[in-house]
Amino acid sequence: MREKKIGLHTFMALPAFALFSVFFLYPLMKGIGMSLTDWDGIRQANFVGLNNFIAFFQDDRALNNIRTTLLFAIGSAPLLNIVGLGYALLMDSKIKGKGMARMIIYLPAIISPLIMGYIWYLLLQPGRGFLYHVLDNMGKASWFGNWTAGYATSMLVLVLVNVWQYAGMTMVIYLAGLQAIPGELYEAAKMDGASSLGRFRFVTIPLLIPSIRINVVTNIIGSLSVFDIVMSLTGGGPGYSTETLSIYIMRMCYGSKTGYSTAVAIIMFFIILVPVLISMRMTRAKAMD
Amino acid sequence: MRRAASLFRYLCITLICILCLIPFLVLLILSLNTPKRVFYEGNIFIPDFYFYNYIEGWFKSNICTAMINSALITIMALCVIILLGAMAAYTIARFNYRFNKLIFGILISCMMIPGIINTVPLYTLMIDLKAINTLWGMALVCATNALPQSVFVFHGFIRSLPKELEESAIMDGCSWFSSFWRIIFPLLKPSVSAIVILNGFGIWNNYSQAVFFLQDRRKHNVPQALSVYFQQFAGAKWNLMAATAVIAIVPVILAFLLFQKNLIKGLTDGALKG
Repeated sequence: MREKKIGLHTFMALPAFALFSVFFLYPLMKGIGMSLTDWDGIRQANFVGLNNFIAFFQDDRALNNIRTTLLFAIGSAPLLNIVGLGYALLMDSKIKGKGMARMIIYLPAIISPLIMGYIWYLLLQPGRGFLYHVLDNMGKASWFGNWTAGYATSMLVLVLVNVWQYAGMTMVIYLAGLQAIPGELYEAAKMDGASSLGRFRFVTIPLLIPSIRINVVTNIIGSLSVFDIVMSLTGGGPGYSTETLSIYIMRMCYGSKTGYSTAVAIIMFFIILVPVLISMRMTRAKAMD
Repeated sequence: MRRAASLFRYLCITLICILCLIPFLVLLILSLNTPKRVFYEGNIFIPDFYFYNYIEGWFKSNICTAMINSALITIMALCVIILLGAMAAYTIARFNYRFNKLIFGILISCMMIPGIINTVPLYTLMIDLKAINTLWGMALVCATNALPQSVFVFHGFIRSLPKELEESAIMDGCSWFSSFWRIIFPLLKPSVSAIVILNGFGIWNNYSQAVFFLQDRRKHNVPQALSVYFQQFAGAKWNLMAATAVIAIVPVILAFLLFQKNLIKGLTDGALKG
Protein backbone atom coordinates (compact mmCIF):
# COMPACT_ATOMS: atom_id res chain seq x y z
CA MET A 1 0.00 0.00 0.00
CA ARG A 2 1.20 3.45 -0.87
CA GLU A 3 1.38 5.93 1.92
CA LYS A 4 -1.50 8.35 1.75
CA LYS A 5 -0.87 11.81 3.07
CA ILE A 6 -3.64 13.98 4.33
CA GLY A 7 -4.78 16.21 1.51
CA LEU A 8 -7.86 17.59 -0.13
CA HIS A 9 -8.94 14.04 -0.97
CA THR A 10 -9.36 13.33 2.74
CA PHE A 11 -12.19 15.81 3.00
CA MET A 12 -14.04 15.13 -0.24
CA ALA A 13 -17.03 13.56 1.47
CA LEU A 14 -17.56 16.60 3.67
CA PRO A 15 -19.51 18.87 1.25
CA ALA A 16 -22.05 16.10 0.61
CA PHE A 17 -22.25 15.30 4.30
CA ALA A 18 -22.67 18.98 5.21
CA LEU A 19 -25.57 19.38 2.79
CA PHE A 20 -27.10 16.16 4.05
CA SER A 21 -26.73 17.21 7.66
CA VAL A 22 -28.38 20.59 7.15
CA PHE A 23 -31.31 19.46 4.98
CA PHE A 24 -31.88 15.94 6.27
CA LEU A 25 -30.28 14.95 9.59
CA TYR A 26 -30.93 18.23 11.39
CA PRO A 27 -34.66 18.34 10.41
CA LEU A 28 -34.95 14.66 11.35
CA MET A 29 -33.64 15.38 14.86
CA LYS A 30 -35.64 18.58 15.12
CA GLY A 31 -38.77 16.64 14.13
CA ILE A 32 -38.35 14.27 17.06
CA GLY A 33 -38.22 17.26 19.40
CA MET A 34 -41.18 18.97 17.71
CA SER A 35 -43.30 15.83 17.97
CA LEU A 36 -43.26 16.19 21.75
CA THR A 37 -44.75 19.70 21.67
CA ASP A 38 -48.12 21.28 20.91
CA TRP A 39 -46.54 23.79 18.50
CA ASP A 40 -48.98 25.38 16.03
CA GLY A 41 -46.32 26.93 13.82
CA ILE A 42 -46.50 30.45 15.28
CA ARG A 43 -46.88 30.68 19.04
CA GLN A 44 -44.63 29.42 21.82
CA ALA A 45 -44.41 25.63 21.87
CA ASN A 46 -45.19 23.74 25.08
CA PHE A 47 -43.79 20.35 25.95
CA VAL A 48 -46.64 17.82 26.01
CA GLY A 49 -44.74 14.54 26.23
CA LEU A 50 -46.28 11.72 24.24
CA ASN A 51 -49.71 13.35 24.01
CA ASN A 52 -49.49 13.73 20.21
CA PHE A 53 -48.84 10.01 19.81
CA ILE A 54 -51.72 9.16 22.15
CA ALA A 55 -54.00 11.57 20.28
CA PHE A 56 -53.05 9.92 17.00
CA PHE A 57 -54.17 6.49 18.13
CA GLN A 58 -57.43 7.90 19.48
CA ASP A 59 -58.30 9.72 16.24
CA ASP A 60 -60.59 7.74 13.94
CA ARG A 61 -59.46 9.71 10.90
CA ALA A 62 -55.80 8.91 11.63
CA LEU A 63 -56.49 5.21 12.20
CA ASN A 64 -58.45 5.09 8.96
CA ASN A 65 -55.46 6.72 7.22
CA ILE A 66 -53.23 3.91 8.47
CA ARG A 67 -55.72 1.36 7.15
CA THR A 68 -55.91 3.11 3.76
CA THR A 69 -52.13 3.46 3.48
CA LEU A 70 -51.56 -0.19 4.38
CA LEU A 71 -54.33 -1.43 2.07
CA PHE A 72 -52.89 0.60 -0.78
CA ALA A 73 -49.41 -0.84 -0.16
CA ILE A 74 -50.67 -4.42 0.27
CA GLY A 75 -52.48 -4.07 -3.04
CA SER A 76 -49.79 -2.13 -4.91
CA ALA A 77 -46.40 -3.53 -3.92
CA PRO A 78 -47.03 -7.25 -4.66
CA LEU A 79 -49.10 -6.54 -7.77
CA LEU A 80 -46.43 -4.19 -9.15
CA ASN A 81 -43.81 -6.91 -8.71
CA ILE A 82 -45.96 -9.64 -10.24
CA VAL A 83 -46.99 -7.51 -13.21
CA GLY A 84 -43.48 -6.10 -13.66
CA LEU A 85 -41.93 -9.57 -13.59
CA GLY A 86 -44.60 -10.86 -15.98
CA TYR A 87 -43.86 -8.05 -18.43
CA ALA A 88 -40.12 -8.68 -18.10
CA LEU A 89 -40.52 -12.42 -18.80
CA LEU A 90 -42.61 -11.60 -21.87
CA MET A 91 -39.99 -9.15 -23.10
CA ASP A 92 -36.92 -11.29 -22.32
CA SER A 93 -36.60 -12.99 -25.68
CA LYS A 94 -35.44 -12.17 -29.16
CA ILE A 95 -38.45 -10.37 -30.57
CA LYS A 96 -38.81 -7.58 -33.08
CA GLY A 97 -39.67 -4.12 -31.82
CA LYS A 98 -38.53 -4.92 -28.30
CA GLY A 99 -36.87 -1.54 -27.76
CA MET A 100 -39.99 0.28 -28.92
CA ALA A 101 -42.28 -1.80 -26.66
CA ARG A 102 -39.97 -1.30 -23.68
CA MET A 103 -40.04 2.44 -24.26
CA ILE A 104 -43.84 2.56 -24.49
CA ILE A 105 -44.32 0.48 -21.35
CA TYR A 106 -41.88 2.69 -19.43
CA LEU A 107 -43.50 5.90 -20.69
CA PRO A 108 -46.20 6.29 -17.98
CA ALA A 109 -43.53 6.18 -15.25
CA ILE A 110 -41.88 9.44 -16.34
CA ILE A 111 -45.09 11.47 -16.18
CA SER A 112 -45.98 13.21 -12.93
CA PRO A 113 -48.33 10.93 -10.94
CA LEU A 114 -50.37 14.04 -10.24
CA ILE A 115 -51.01 14.58 -13.96
CA MET A 116 -51.64 10.83 -14.37
CA GLY A 117 -54.29 11.02 -11.67
CA TYR A 118 -56.02 13.87 -13.51
CA ILE A 119 -55.91 11.97 -16.80
CA TRP A 120 -57.50 8.90 -15.21
CA TYR A 121 -60.04 11.15 -13.58
CA LEU A 122 -61.01 12.44 -17.04
CA LEU A 123 -61.32 8.84 -18.18
CA LEU A 124 -63.32 7.52 -15.25
CA GLN A 125 -65.56 10.41 -14.23
CA PRO A 126 -69.14 9.19 -13.84
CA GLY A 127 -71.61 10.24 -16.53
CA ARG A 128 -69.09 12.32 -18.49
CA GLY A 129 -65.87 10.33 -18.53
CA PHE A 130 -64.39 8.87 -21.67
CA LEU A 131 -64.92 5.28 -20.59
CA TYR A 132 -68.59 5.97 -19.90
CA HIS A 133 -69.05 7.21 -23.46
CA VAL A 134 -67.26 4.24 -24.96
CA LEU A 135 -69.55 1.91 -23.00
CA ASP A 136 -72.57 4.07 -23.81
CA ASN A 137 -71.83 3.88 -27.54
CA MET A 138 -71.71 0.12 -27.21
CA GLY A 139 -75.06 0.17 -25.44
CA LYS A 140 -73.51 -1.07 -22.21
CA ALA A 141 -73.77 2.10 -20.11
CA SER A 142 -75.03 0.07 -17.17
CA TRP A 143 -71.59 -1.57 -16.90
CA PHE A 144 -70.20 1.73 -15.78
CA GLY A 145 -70.12 2.37 -12.06
CA ASN A 146 -69.35 5.48 -10.08
CA TRP A 147 -66.03 3.98 -9.07
CA THR A 148 -64.38 6.97 -7.44
CA ALA A 149 -67.37 7.50 -5.10
CA GLY A 150 -67.13 4.33 -2.99
CA TYR A 151 -64.29 3.36 -0.67
CA ALA A 152 -63.61 -0.15 -1.97
CA THR A 153 -63.81 0.78 -5.64
CA SER A 154 -61.78 3.97 -5.29
CA MET A 155 -59.05 2.03 -3.46
CA LEU A 156 -59.09 -0.47 -6.31
CA VAL A 157 -58.84 2.34 -8.88
CA LEU A 158 -55.91 3.93 -7.00
CA VAL A 159 -54.04 0.62 -6.81
CA LEU A 160 -54.67 -0.24 -10.46
CA VAL A 161 -53.67 3.21 -11.72
CA ASN A 162 -50.49 3.07 -9.63
CA VAL A 163 -49.65 -0.40 -10.93
CA TRP A 164 -50.42 0.71 -14.47
CA GLN A 165 -48.09 3.69 -14.11
CA TYR A 166 -45.07 2.03 -12.47
CA ALA A 167 -45.16 -1.53 -13.91
CA GLY A 168 -42.72 -0.32 -16.60
CA MET A 169 -40.18 0.83 -14.04
CA THR A 170 -40.36 -2.49 -12.18
CA MET A 171 -40.14 -4.32 -15.50
CA VAL A 172 -36.94 -2.54 -16.53
CA ILE A 173 -35.15 -3.57 -13.34
CA TYR A 174 -36.31 -7.19 -13.70
CA LEU A 175 -35.29 -7.14 -17.35
CA ALA A 176 -31.79 -5.98 -16.44
CA GLY A 177 -31.64 -8.81 -13.89
CA LEU A 178 -32.91 -11.43 -16.36
CA GLN A 179 -30.37 -10.41 -18.97
CA ALA A 180 -27.56 -10.93 -16.47
CA ILE A 181 -28.46 -14.63 -16.04
CA PRO A 182 -26.07 -16.73 -18.18
CA GLY A 183 -27.85 -18.93 -20.74
CA GLU A 184 -25.66 -21.94 -19.87
CA LEU A 185 -27.44 -22.27 -16.54
CA TYR A 186 -30.74 -22.89 -18.32
CA GLU A 187 -29.05 -25.38 -20.63
CA ALA A 188 -27.58 -27.26 -17.67
CA ALA A 189 -30.94 -27.35 -15.90
CA LYS A 190 -32.56 -28.63 -19.09
CA MET A 191 -29.97 -31.42 -19.32
CA ASP A 192 -30.81 -32.40 -15.76
CA GLY A 193 -34.42 -32.76 -16.87
CA ALA A 194 -35.87 -29.69 -15.20
CA SER A 195 -39.26 -28.60 -16.55
CA SER A 196 -39.72 -24.99 -17.62
CA LEU A 197 -41.52 -24.34 -14.33
CA GLY A 198 -38.65 -25.97 -12.45
CA ARG A 199 -36.12 -23.85 -14.33
CA PHE A 200 -38.07 -20.73 -13.39
CA ARG A 201 -38.26 -21.78 -9.73
CA PHE A 202 -34.67 -22.99 -9.29
CA VAL A 203 -32.68 -20.92 -11.80
CA THR A 204 -34.51 -17.68 -12.58
CA ILE A 205 -35.88 -16.74 -9.16
CA PRO A 206 -32.68 -17.33 -7.11
CA LEU A 207 -30.57 -15.38 -9.61
CA LEU A 208 -33.09 -12.55 -9.72
CA ILE A 209 -32.76 -11.88 -5.98
CA PRO A 210 -30.83 -8.58 -6.40
CA SER A 211 -33.55 -7.22 -8.73
CA ILE A 212 -36.32 -8.54 -6.49
CA ARG A 213 -34.71 -6.83 -3.53
CA ILE A 214 -34.46 -3.43 -5.26
CA ASN A 215 -38.01 -3.66 -6.60
CA VAL A 216 -39.65 -4.88 -3.39
CA VAL A 217 -37.94 -2.28 -1.22
CA THR A 218 -38.59 0.67 -3.55
CA ASN A 219 -42.20 -0.40 -4.10
CA ILE A 220 -42.84 -0.72 -0.37
CA ILE A 221 -41.38 2.73 0.30
CA GLY A 222 -43.14 4.28 -2.69
CA SER A 223 -46.58 2.85 -1.96
CA LEU A 224 -46.49 3.57 1.78
CA SER A 225 -45.62 7.22 1.13
CA VAL A 226 -48.06 7.68 -1.77
CA PHE A 227 -49.22 11.28 -2.19
CA ASP A 228 -49.68 12.74 -5.70
CA ILE A 229 -51.98 10.20 -7.29
CA VAL A 230 -54.40 10.18 -4.35
CA MET A 231 -54.48 13.99 -4.36
CA SER A 232 -55.51 14.19 -8.00
CA LEU A 233 -57.73 11.09 -8.32
CA THR A 234 -59.80 11.17 -5.16
CA GLY A 235 -58.39 14.10 -3.15
CA GLY A 236 -58.54 11.74 -0.18
CA GLY A 237 -62.29 11.42 -0.59
CA PRO A 238 -65.06 10.45 -0.34
CA GLY A 239 -64.85 12.24 3.00
CA TYR A 240 -61.43 11.38 4.40
CA SER A 241 -61.75 7.69 3.53
CA THR A 242 -58.92 7.41 0.97
CA GLU A 243 -56.67 9.95 2.66
CA THR A 244 -53.17 8.52 3.17
CA LEU A 245 -50.72 9.30 5.96
CA SER A 246 -48.57 11.60 3.81
CA ILE A 247 -51.61 13.71 2.86
CA TYR A 248 -52.68 13.74 6.52
CA ILE A 249 -49.24 15.09 7.50
CA MET A 250 -49.56 17.95 5.01
CA ARG A 251 -53.12 18.81 6.05
CA MET A 252 -52.27 18.75 9.75
CA CYS A 253 -49.28 21.00 9.15
CA TYR A 254 -51.44 23.48 7.24
CA GLY A 255 -54.11 23.11 9.91
CA SER A 256 -51.72 24.66 12.48
CA LYS A 257 -51.03 21.31 14.14
CA THR A 258 -47.32 21.40 13.37
CA GLY A 259 -46.18 19.43 16.43
CA TYR A 260 -48.82 16.78 15.86
CA SER A 261 -47.94 16.40 12.17
CA THR A 262 -44.29 15.64 13.04
CA ALA A 263 -45.51 12.94 15.44
CA VAL A 264 -47.52 11.43 12.56
CA ALA A 265 -44.36 11.51 10.43
CA ILE A 266 -42.44 9.55 13.08
CA ILE A 267 -45.24 6.94 13.25
CA MET A 268 -45.15 6.74 9.46
CA PHE A 269 -41.37 6.24 9.59
CA PHE A 270 -41.81 3.07 11.66
CA ILE A 271 -44.68 1.86 9.47
CA ILE A 272 -42.26 2.01 6.51
CA LEU A 273 -39.17 0.75 8.36
CA VAL A 274 -40.66 -2.55 9.59
CA PRO A 275 -41.70 -4.06 6.21
CA VAL A 276 -38.51 -2.73 4.56
CA LEU A 277 -36.26 -4.41 7.13
CA ILE A 278 -38.28 -7.65 6.95
CA SER A 279 -38.10 -7.80 3.16
CA MET A 280 -34.38 -6.97 3.18
CA ARG A 281 -33.69 -9.74 5.68
CA MET A 282 -35.76 -12.22 3.67
CA THR A 283 -33.97 -11.46 0.40
CA ARG A 284 -30.60 -11.60 2.15
CA ALA A 285 -31.28 -15.08 3.57
CA LYS A 286 -32.44 -16.32 0.17
CA ALA A 287 -29.32 -14.98 -1.53
CA MET A 288 -27.16 -17.21 0.68
CA ASP A 289 -28.78 -20.45 -0.57
CA MET B 1 -46.38 -25.06 -31.09
CA ARG B 2 -43.38 -22.73 -30.96
CA ARG B 3 -44.96 -20.45 -33.57
CA ALA B 4 -48.18 -20.26 -31.58
CA ALA B 5 -46.24 -19.39 -28.44
CA SER B 6 -44.37 -16.57 -30.13
CA LEU B 7 -47.58 -15.27 -31.70
CA PHE B 8 -49.17 -15.26 -28.25
CA ARG B 9 -46.17 -13.34 -26.91
CA TYR B 10 -46.50 -10.67 -29.62
CA LEU B 11 -50.23 -10.40 -28.95
CA CYS B 12 -49.68 -9.88 -25.21
CA ILE B 13 -46.99 -7.24 -25.74
CA THR B 14 -49.14 -5.38 -28.26
CA LEU B 15 -52.07 -5.35 -25.84
CA ILE B 16 -49.87 -4.09 -23.01
CA CYS B 17 -48.52 -1.30 -25.23
CA ILE B 18 -52.04 -0.28 -26.22
CA LEU B 19 -53.05 -0.26 -22.56
CA CYS B 20 -50.10 2.01 -21.80
CA LEU B 21 -50.91 4.41 -24.62
CA ILE B 22 -54.71 4.71 -24.27
CA PRO B 23 -54.72 7.45 -21.61
CA PHE B 24 -52.30 9.51 -23.69
CA LEU B 25 -54.47 9.13 -26.79
CA VAL B 26 -57.62 10.07 -24.89
CA LEU B 27 -55.83 13.13 -23.52
CA LEU B 28 -54.81 14.13 -27.03
CA ILE B 29 -58.36 13.67 -28.37
CA LEU B 30 -59.86 15.68 -25.51
CA SER B 31 -57.34 18.48 -26.00
CA LEU B 32 -58.40 18.91 -29.63
CA ASN B 33 -62.15 19.17 -29.05
CA THR B 34 -64.08 22.45 -29.13
CA PRO B 35 -65.36 23.73 -25.77
CA LYS B 36 -68.95 23.04 -26.86
CA ARG B 37 -68.31 19.38 -27.40
CA VAL B 38 -68.63 18.27 -23.81
CA PHE B 39 -70.45 15.08 -24.59
CA TYR B 40 -68.93 13.05 -27.31
CA GLU B 41 -71.29 13.31 -30.23
CA GLY B 42 -70.53 11.28 -33.31
CA ASN B 43 -67.32 9.30 -33.38
CA ILE B 44 -65.61 9.77 -30.04
CA PHE B 45 -62.25 8.80 -31.48
CA ILE B 46 -62.15 11.68 -34.00
CA PRO B 47 -61.53 15.08 -32.40
CA ASP B 48 -62.44 18.49 -33.83
CA PHE B 49 -58.79 19.53 -34.31
CA TYR B 50 -59.47 22.73 -32.41
CA PHE B 51 -55.93 23.96 -31.66
CA TYR B 52 -57.08 27.16 -29.97
CA ASN B 53 -57.24 25.16 -26.69
CA TYR B 54 -53.46 25.08 -26.63
CA ILE B 55 -53.13 28.84 -27.05
CA GLU B 56 -55.72 29.50 -24.37
CA GLY B 57 -54.19 26.94 -22.01
CA TRP B 58 -50.72 28.41 -22.50
CA PHE B 59 -51.75 31.99 -21.77
CA LYS B 60 -54.37 31.45 -19.07
CA SER B 61 -52.43 28.99 -16.96
CA ASN B 62 -49.10 29.51 -15.28
CA ILE B 63 -47.53 26.70 -17.27
CA CYS B 64 -44.79 28.70 -19.01
CA THR B 65 -43.30 30.11 -15.78
CA ALA B 66 -43.78 26.72 -14.13
CA MET B 67 -41.82 24.90 -16.82
CA ILE B 68 -38.94 27.38 -16.48
CA ASN B 69 -39.02 26.94 -12.69
CA SER B 70 -39.09 23.14 -12.93
CA ALA B 71 -36.24 23.17 -15.45
CA LEU B 72 -34.06 25.45 -13.28
CA ILE B 73 -34.75 23.40 -10.14
CA THR B 74 -33.98 20.14 -11.95
CA ILE B 75 -30.72 21.41 -13.48
CA MET B 76 -29.44 22.96 -10.25
CA ALA B 77 -30.34 19.87 -8.20
CA LEU B 78 -28.74 17.46 -10.68
CA CYS B 79 -25.49 19.50 -10.71
CA VAL B 80 -25.32 19.37 -6.92
CA ILE B 81 -26.11 15.65 -6.82
CA ILE B 82 -23.51 14.76 -9.43
CA LEU B 83 -20.66 16.98 -8.15
CA LEU B 84 -21.06 16.36 -4.42
CA GLY B 85 -22.14 12.73 -4.88
CA ALA B 86 -19.18 11.80 -7.10
CA MET B 87 -16.67 13.55 -4.82
CA ALA B 88 -17.99 11.81 -1.72
CA ALA B 89 -18.22 8.43 -3.46
CA TYR B 90 -14.61 8.75 -4.65
CA THR B 91 -13.01 9.24 -1.27
CA ILE B 92 -15.31 6.60 0.29
CA ALA B 93 -14.44 4.08 -2.42
CA ARG B 94 -10.68 4.74 -2.35
CA PHE B 95 -9.73 5.62 1.22
CA ASN B 96 -10.63 3.59 4.27
CA TYR B 97 -10.85 6.45 6.77
CA ARG B 98 -13.08 5.78 9.71
CA PHE B 99 -15.21 8.89 9.13
CA ASN B 100 -15.64 7.97 5.46
CA LYS B 101 -17.15 4.67 6.60
CA LEU B 102 -19.33 6.50 9.08
CA ILE B 103 -20.61 8.97 6.47
CA PHE B 104 -21.32 6.14 4.03
CA GLY B 105 -23.18 4.18 6.70
CA ILE B 106 -25.35 7.17 7.61
CA LEU B 107 -26.16 7.94 3.97
CA ILE B 108 -27.05 4.33 3.15
CA SER B 109 -29.32 3.88 6.15
CA CYS B 110 -31.13 7.15 5.33
CA MET B 111 -31.77 5.90 1.78
CA MET B 112 -34.85 4.14 3.18
CA ILE B 113 -36.44 7.32 4.54
CA PRO B 114 -38.81 9.05 2.12
CA GLY B 115 -38.59 12.85 1.99
CA ILE B 116 -42.12 13.39 3.28
CA ILE B 117 -41.09 12.19 6.77
CA ASN B 118 -39.06 15.27 7.64
CA THR B 119 -40.83 17.79 5.46
CA VAL B 120 -42.51 19.64 8.34
CA PRO B 121 -39.37 20.34 10.41
CA LEU B 122 -37.58 21.08 7.14
CA TYR B 123 -40.26 23.65 6.42
CA THR B 124 -39.46 25.55 9.62
CA LEU B 125 -35.75 25.35 8.82
CA MET B 126 -36.39 26.69 5.31
CA ILE B 127 -38.23 29.68 6.81
CA ASP B 128 -35.23 30.40 9.06
CA LEU B 129 -32.86 30.14 6.09
CA LYS B 130 -35.13 32.40 3.99
CA ALA B 131 -35.20 29.55 1.47
CA ILE B 132 -39.00 29.31 1.23
CA ASN B 133 -40.30 30.22 -2.23
CA THR B 134 -36.82 30.16 -3.74
CA LEU B 135 -35.78 27.90 -6.56
CA TRP B 136 -32.34 27.28 -5.00
CA GLY B 137 -33.96 26.17 -1.74
CA MET B 138 -36.20 23.69 -3.50
CA ALA B 139 -33.24 22.49 -5.61
CA LEU B 140 -31.16 21.84 -2.47
CA VAL B 141 -34.03 19.90 -0.85
CA CYS B 142 -34.46 17.74 -3.96
CA ALA B 143 -30.69 17.23 -4.21
CA THR B 144 -30.48 16.13 -0.57
CA ASN B 145 -33.23 13.56 -1.08
CA ALA B 146 -31.35 12.02 -4.01
CA LEU B 147 -27.85 12.29 -2.53
CA PRO B 148 -27.64 8.89 -0.71
CA GLN B 149 -28.70 6.95 -3.79
CA SER B 150 -26.25 8.83 -6.02
CA VAL B 151 -23.33 8.21 -3.61
CA PHE B 152 -24.35 4.55 -3.60
CA VAL B 153 -24.39 4.31 -7.41
CA PHE B 154 -21.13 6.26 -7.91
CA HIS B 155 -19.45 4.26 -5.13
CA GLY B 156 -20.29 0.95 -6.83
CA PHE B 157 -18.99 2.22 -10.15
CA ILE B 158 -15.75 3.78 -8.85
CA ARG B 159 -14.88 0.58 -6.96
CA SER B 160 -15.03 -1.31 -10.25
CA LEU B 161 -12.39 1.03 -11.74
CA PRO B 162 -8.75 -0.12 -11.22
CA LYS B 163 -6.64 1.97 -8.88
CA GLU B 164 -3.76 1.99 -11.35
CA LEU B 165 -5.68 4.61 -13.30
CA GLU B 166 -4.72 7.36 -10.88
CA GLU B 167 -1.56 5.84 -9.45
CA SER B 168 0.66 6.79 -12.39
CA ALA B 169 -0.60 10.34 -12.17
CA ILE B 170 0.16 10.37 -8.44
CA MET B 171 3.73 9.23 -9.23
CA ASP B 172 4.08 12.24 -11.49
CA GLY B 173 3.23 14.48 -8.58
CA CYS B 174 -0.45 15.02 -9.21
CA SER B 175 -2.59 15.14 -6.06
CA TRP B 176 -5.37 12.61 -5.45
CA PHE B 177 -7.86 15.45 -5.52
CA SER B 178 -6.92 16.72 -8.95
CA SER B 179 -6.40 13.23 -10.36
CA PHE B 180 -10.02 12.55 -9.42
CA TRP B 181 -11.21 15.47 -11.49
CA ARG B 182 -8.85 14.78 -14.39
CA ILE B 183 -9.01 11.00 -14.62
CA ILE B 184 -11.95 9.48 -12.73
CA PHE B 185 -14.70 12.07 -13.11
CA PRO B 186 -14.75 11.93 -16.94
CA LEU B 187 -15.15 8.12 -16.71
CA LEU B 188 -18.34 8.36 -14.64
CA LYS B 189 -20.63 9.01 -17.63
CA PRO B 190 -22.71 5.78 -17.34
CA SER B 191 -23.42 6.42 -13.67
CA VAL B 192 -24.16 10.08 -14.37
CA SER B 193 -26.77 9.14 -16.97
CA ALA B 194 -28.34 6.58 -14.62
CA ILE B 195 -28.56 9.21 -11.89
CA VAL B 196 -29.96 11.84 -14.25
CA ILE B 197 -32.70 9.45 -15.40
CA LEU B 198 -33.49 8.01 -11.98
CA ASN B 199 -33.78 11.42 -10.33
CA GLY B 200 -34.34 14.01 -13.05
CA PHE B 201 -37.97 13.14 -13.80
CA GLY B 202 -38.77 12.79 -10.10
CA ILE B 203 -37.40 16.27 -9.37
CA TRP B 204 -39.25 17.81 -12.34
CA ASN B 205 -42.47 16.13 -11.11
CA ASN B 206 -41.99 16.76 -7.38
CA TYR B 207 -45.32 17.73 -5.88
CA SER B 208 -45.44 16.52 -2.27
CA GLN B 209 -42.62 18.86 -1.20
CA ALA B 210 -43.27 21.68 -3.66
CA VAL B 211 -46.64 22.08 -1.92
CA PHE B 212 -44.69 23.14 1.19
CA PHE B 213 -41.70 25.00 -0.18
CA LEU B 214 -43.02 26.78 -3.28
CA GLN B 215 -46.25 28.44 -2.22
CA ASP B 216 -45.80 31.68 -4.17
CA ARG B 217 -47.65 31.40 -7.47
CA ARG B 218 -44.67 32.80 -9.39
CA LYS B 219 -42.45 30.02 -8.03
CA HIS B 220 -44.84 27.12 -8.73
CA ASN B 221 -43.45 24.11 -10.54
CA VAL B 222 -45.26 22.12 -13.23
CA PRO B 223 -47.46 19.81 -11.09
CA GLN B 224 -48.47 22.72 -8.88
CA ALA B 225 -49.35 25.00 -11.79
CA LEU B 226 -51.50 22.25 -13.28
CA SER B 227 -53.25 21.40 -10.04
CA VAL B 228 -54.07 25.08 -9.41
CA TYR B 229 -55.29 25.48 -12.98
CA PHE B 230 -57.39 22.30 -12.82
CA GLN B 231 -58.95 23.07 -9.46
CA GLN B 232 -60.31 26.40 -10.67
CA PHE B 233 -62.48 24.62 -13.26
CA ALA B 234 -63.90 22.08 -10.78
CA GLY B 235 -64.50 19.42 -13.40
CA ALA B 236 -65.50 21.66 -16.33
CA LYS B 237 -63.54 22.83 -19.43
CA TRP B 238 -61.87 19.50 -19.96
CA ASN B 239 -60.57 20.46 -23.35
CA LEU B 240 -58.49 23.26 -21.79
CA MET B 241 -57.28 21.02 -18.97
CA ALA B 242 -56.28 18.35 -21.45
CA ALA B 243 -54.45 20.82 -23.72
CA THR B 244 -52.47 22.25 -20.79
CA ALA B 245 -51.60 18.75 -19.60
CA VAL B 246 -50.32 17.91 -23.08
CA ILE B 247 -48.15 21.06 -23.04
CA ALA B 248 -46.72 19.97 -19.68
CA ILE B 249 -46.05 16.40 -20.82
CA VAL B 250 -44.35 17.20 -24.16
CA PRO B 251 -40.95 18.37 -22.78
CA VAL B 252 -40.82 15.33 -20.47
CA ILE B 253 -41.46 12.94 -23.34
CA LEU B 254 -38.86 14.71 -25.50
CA ALA B 255 -36.26 14.43 -22.73
CA PHE B 256 -37.18 10.78 -22.29
CA LEU B 257 -36.75 10.04 -25.99
CA LEU B 258 -33.37 11.74 -25.84
CA PHE B 259 -32.11 9.73 -22.84
CA GLN B 260 -34.03 6.46 -23.15
CA LYS B 261 -31.23 4.63 -24.96
CA ASN B 262 -29.03 5.23 -21.93
CA LEU B 263 -31.83 4.36 -19.53
CA ILE B 264 -31.57 0.58 -19.71
CA LYS B 265 -27.77 0.67 -19.94
CA GLY B 266 -27.50 3.21 -17.16
CA LEU B 267 -29.80 1.17 -14.94
CA THR B 268 -27.96 -2.08 -15.64
CA ASP B 269 -24.47 -0.61 -15.14
CA GLY B 270 -25.26 1.78 -12.37
CA ALA B 271 -28.17 0.74 -10.21
CA LEU B 272 -27.98 -3.04 -10.33
CA LYS B 273 -24.24 -3.54 -10.12
CA GLY B 274 -23.77 -0.72 -7.63
